[in-house]
Amino acid sequence: MDSLGIVVAFYVLSAVTIGAALSVFLLRNLVHAIVLLVLSFLGMAGLFASLSADFIAIAQILIYAGAISVLLVFAVMLTPLSSRNNANSLYVGPGILAGVAIAAIVVFTAIEVDWVQLTGDALRDRSFVDTIETIGDQLLGKHILAFEVASVLLLFALLGAIVLVTDPRGVGTDVTDDADDAPGATEEPA
Amino acid sequence: MSEQPAIVKRQLPATPMARQIIERGTLREQAARMPFAAKVIGAIFGIGFLIANAGIAYIVVDGRLDGMWYDFRDLGYAIERLRVELRTVDGTIGGQELGAILAYWVPALIGGIGILSFLGGFLLIGSWIERRLLARFQIRTGPNRVGPYGLLQPLADALKLMQKEVLIPAGADRMLFYLPPVLIFIPAMLAWGPIPWAENMAYLDLNVGLLYVVSITSLSVLAVWLAGWSSNNHYALLGSMRTVAMMVSYEIPISLALLSVVLVTGSLRLSAIVAWQADHYLWLALLLPFALFTFFFSSTAEINRTPNDIAEAESEIVAGFHTEYSGMKAGLFLAVELGNALLTGALVATFFLGGYTLFGLEEWIPGYLILGAKATFGYFIFIWLRATLPRFRIDQLMNFAWKYLIPLSIANVLLVAIEASIAARWDAPAIIVYGLFVIVNIALTAYAVRAWARAIGYAMDVEQPAQPIFAKTIGGLKAARSLRGEA
Amino acid sequence: MTTASEPYVLNIGPQHPSTHGVFRIRVVMDGEQIQDLDMIVGYLHRSMEKLAEERTYTQNIPFTDRADYLAAMSGNLGLCLAVERLADVEVPERASYLRVIFAELQRIASHAMANGTLVSDAGAWQTPLLYMFREREKILDLFEMTCGARLTTNYMRIGGVAFEPPPEFWPALRELVDELPQRIDEYAQMVQGNEIFIARTRNVGIISPEDAINGSLVGPALRGSGVPWDLRKAEPYCVYDRMDFEVPVGTIGDVYDRYMVRLEETRQSTRIIRQAMEAIPEGPHKTDIPLALRPEPGEIYGRVEGPRGETGFYLVSDGSPAPYRFHIRAPSLINLSLLREMARGAALSDAVVTLGSLDIVVGEIDR
Repeated sequence: MDSLGIVVAFYVLSAVTIGAALSVFLLRNLVHAIVLLVLSFLGMAGLFASLSADFIAIAQILIYAGAISVLLVFAVMLTPLSSRNNANSLYVGPGILAGVAIAAIVVFTAIEVDWVQLTGDALRDRSFVDTIETIGDQLLGKHILAFEVASVLLLFALLGAIVLVTDPRGVGTDVTDDADDAPGATEEPA
Repeated sequence: MSEQPAIVKRQLPATPMARQIIERGTLREQAARMPFAAKVIGAIFGIGFLIANAGIAYIVVDGRLDGMWYDFRDLGYAIERLRVELRTVDGTIGGQELGAILAYWVPALIGGIGILSFLGGFLLIGSWIERRLLARFQIRTGPNRVGPYGLLQPLADALKLMQKEVLIPAGADRMLFYLPPVLIFIPAMLAWGPIPWAENMAYLDLNVGLLYVVSITSLSVLAVWLAGWSSNNHYALLGSMRTVAMMVSYEIPISLALLSVVLVTGSLRLSAIVAWQADHYLWLALLLPFALFTFFFSSTAEINRTPNDIAEAESEIVAGFHTEYSGMKAGLFLAVELGNALLTGALVATFFLGGYTLFGLEEWIPGYLILGAKATFGYFIFIWLRATLPRFRIDQLMNFAWKYLIPLSIANVLLVAIEASIAARWDAPAIIVYGLFVIVNIALTAYAVRAWARAIGYAMDVEQPAQPIFAKTIGGLKAARSLRGEA
Repeated sequence: MTTASEPYVLNIGPQHPSTHGVFRIRVVMDGEQIQDLDMIVGYLHRSMEKLAEERTYTQNIPFTDRADYLAAMSGNLGLCLAVERLADVEVPERASYLRVIFAELQRIASHAMANGTLVSDAGAWQTPLLYMFREREKILDLFEMTCGARLTTNYMRIGGVAFEPPPEFWPALRELVDELPQRIDEYAQMVQGNEIFIARTRNVGIISPEDAINGSLVGPALRGSGVPWDLRKAEPYCVYDRMDFEVPVGTIGDVYDRYMVRLEETRQSTRIIRQAMEAIPEGPHKTDIPLALRPEPGEIYGRVEGPRGETGFYLVSDGSPAPYRFHIRAPSLINLSLLREMARGAALSDAVVTLGSLDIVVGEIDR
């Protein structure tokens, strides 16, 4: 982390990420909050990239900024108009509690763990490993159980979503349902 | 009226317009009518072109250009030489070597400006190409007033859009309204980074290039939704919801199709994919036809072009998510649609059509020209699709993605994985292995496309739907009932 | 737990690329499905019927041009036929044949427009529309050759037609009629084989024959539902009883059937024109009538089969040169009232395509 560019990048990206994350719960407008949350995701991706974690950075953009933002968008659209005020202060107490707890865990880990530090020449001489190959090997080798459990979890989530949005009128309520009453309509709707 | 002559010659059309059309004649007739000076200049240009090509052929064959910085077939050499020169600059700034900083930033800026200029230049000419080509499909001329052959039309459009009043709908969120045109232009620019234009000419040759392209294009979903939401307009919201649903659904087939590409080539780096195709003398379009078809079709959904342009279905919801945008904001949306079409053409060329290589021809013709030609060919296919096909309804689109494309894509990935593992273990010469795979893949694709459609219940109207009956007698309800009783 | 959605109101407003004119539809939608539909007309009301009470019958003929502006000849014809029956005016035979030729030419032009805009509404970016416009341009050229105007022709007169077609009309007409069947086949093949178009129009906007007759549907929409009713055969006017043609009728009553019925009708119109061209006699093209024609006091309802269906004219005369009451029975307005039934429960895209298949002209809805 010696080069000027990386240091500057770190500070800028950290400022952007933290500022955006703070604005998420400080702003009143829920949609503004979503946009700034996406900005913080992108900042995180930049931080990953500055640490040469290429696959994680791109996966962060793909999954968080690309897909989870859409999830949040749909969640906002499903909330009734009246409760779209971000200043809803019902869960402030538990929220602060949870935030402090998570922060404590993270800080404790950061301080107590014996990180392998690469600085200066060691950093420059280290051969750059293709992280994606290593990650792939680990995921399908050593950590395959966790990988499979995660995919089963996703499958359940998908099934649950389908159950939630199933039309109570019945499966396959097509927009061309009236067609069944017309005489001679024996073909299936295309 | 039997005394009248049967046919009167064509120079008697009734209207001035028809007369004008007939007098104009074909392109050949127009060329023959040009003044003598123009013909002379044209001949000089033609002969000069041939001589230049002969000279280039001599130089190339002689090997004089290889590796030199003035090798115009690969501008990467010039940049490399520039970088070497810059690194020798003396001085320090803030503890850093000035040389290192310059060697990093100056080529980066040059490359960035190059990509932007190329994109901007294409936006100027691409609009013209599209409108003239569409017009030719529709038996009309297209823009031909502004400048010779209407070539200045895109410029005139841009100037017109810039001087229009910017309207912000009442009740629209100001900041969120200004954001989407910017947000949607960023992925359109950034995705051009990894594309290799020649052997050393990839601006951002990431080792996760393919994943980068997919993730950057998924950023535009948010911009589209934001445009529809912040407009405070039901049409815009309808358009943007359709678009979001469609874009998110079609990202999956794109990723699966590209996954099969990665399985075959073994790398996410775009230049490695192109190099694989050059080394094996095999375009991935032949080896993975289903992946090509899936990628191409899903890309039309991603960039909102016909037959999947339900988001801006002009006949239904006026302009969809960019209804409320006026002036240059709307211009940016239209420009991005154009730029994305060329981007998809370039991506198809890189992944499936061999990129900047052409079975060894890139030694003669610069690689970037080859890639430009292939990308333009992809763009031409998009315009062709736009001129001929009507658009799908949104539920038909979603059905197609989820019930048809995704299962088939997964099956495709399975098949390609088996083939890749066979190729890694089998010791036969590559041509037999890959030739076999080509035949198997094409046959299976041709079969599966129809079989799966039938399996999910799509009754393809190979026989025409019922033709109208000719009624012999006139009547009301009784006649109708008797007709149906017969029919 | 299910999530409920609230319906919202969408205004397919007066200015819209696909409402075929200025009229407004208020749609109550639930997601993409239409729950209810409300049509507000009157944006193009020009009070023709009131203005007609101040003008003589001949001066009222241009009003019919502008009512159904895509079928001017048929509108002219309807009014002239009604007045002729009211005032007991004889029409020379040559004029009747000319009337038939021009009415059928107008039918081809109007159906080309209707089918073209239907395919454009389905999303085809106007390419088939412009192909069909090729023939429409030639027909409009013929109109201009004869009466000077392409759209608002004002060609029929009480007692005949206004002008004798010039000598260059007949060869041009023969050339057109010779190449039309092949062109119509081209249009049919261009669109019919297209699976996307079939998927968009098959089983969409279905109306049963019972509902159609209950709702007073007329024209190709009625024939698309299977009811073989055509005024040219039921109550022949001009010389239609001497012409040999058939009436195409659909099977299901969806958008595709109406499209096919219109396409077939253009083929039959070509047949009629060819027969009329062969059989047309010499003679005057108009009988002389007084400048201010005073028909007997009475009332009459005269109707013709226009491209959109039964275009009727209800005239009440009180013996003066101007009508006491002049009413146009606009087929588009009555056909439009069935849109609600057809579109309920359908997606918005389907409603747009159904509206295109009903082939409305707002000029005659609002008059």
